[in-house]
Amino acid sequence: MSYMKTTLTGYAAYRGREGHWAFLLHRITGLGVVLFLAIHIVDTSFVYFAPQLYVDVINVYRSTIFGLGEIALVFCLFFHGVNGLRIAYLDLFAPKDWTIDKTRRSMLVALGISLVLWVPSAGWMLFNLLRHNYGLFGG
Amino acid sequence: MSATTTSQPERVRVRKNFDQVAWTWMRYSAVLLIPLAWFHLVLQDVVVGVHKITTDYAIERMANMGWKIYDILLLGFAFAHGMNGVRQVFRDYIHNPKTFRAVSILLLIFWAVITAVGAVALLSINPAAQ
Repeated sequence: MSYMKTTLTGYAAYRGREGHWAFLLHRITGLGVVLFLAIHIVDTSFVYFAPQLYVDVINVYRSTIFGLGEIALVFCLFFHGVNGLRIAYLDLFAPKDWTIDKTRRSMLVALGISLVLWVPSAGWMLFNLLRHNYGLFGG
Repeated sequence: MSATTTSQPERVRVRKNFDQVAWTWMRYSAVLLIPLAWFHLVLQDVVVGVHKITTDYAIERMANMGWKIYDILLLGFAFAHGMNGVRQVFRDYIHNPKTFRAVSILLLIFWAVITAVGAVALLSINPAAQ
């Protein structure tokens, strides 16, 4: 437990800026995706094991709170992938660019690419959510 | 001082241990997961959307051989990548090797059970059964 406290205070107090944020975001987005994935594999298996329960699963997926989580999930997957590519690229092809200045810039590039991919997807999912759950936009 | 700077470092061959193999697979699977997982998520959550997904849609999709192979790859690579990632997170906080080994075994069991549940469901759904 003391490790956990040291870790959390360390994460908050360490002022590593972009490189530090890249590490934290990579870890948080990865954990977010794997948590969802464990649930998603089991709930999708209901299609075979308990088709009558799968209807309830779909209703949970359609709820507003889950819809917002889904929008976050899409960001997690995009960022984790883009940042993973950045790490693999630097390791394999440009190890000389593992400097504080260059990783600061490349982290912002990775974040920018993730946002470019995420914003249109998030907008469309939010539109669908508002249309189906709140009757907006002629839903 | 001067003798150390010019020559190439000597290459030493060491037998890879489990974690080196796992690390390599984390990276290979990651490259494969980018098209697999991104396309899956964009197709199901953005293009189709949860409001159009029904039990019939899921059954039809999982009965299709092409999508079945796609889903097998996704199940195999994504969850293994994720669970090994969780193990690396635990490694940062659990400093006792015995405890870490026990946690690793628990994670392995958890991974195997969840993957088996998904695989049985995925492989059992076929067009003839509908």
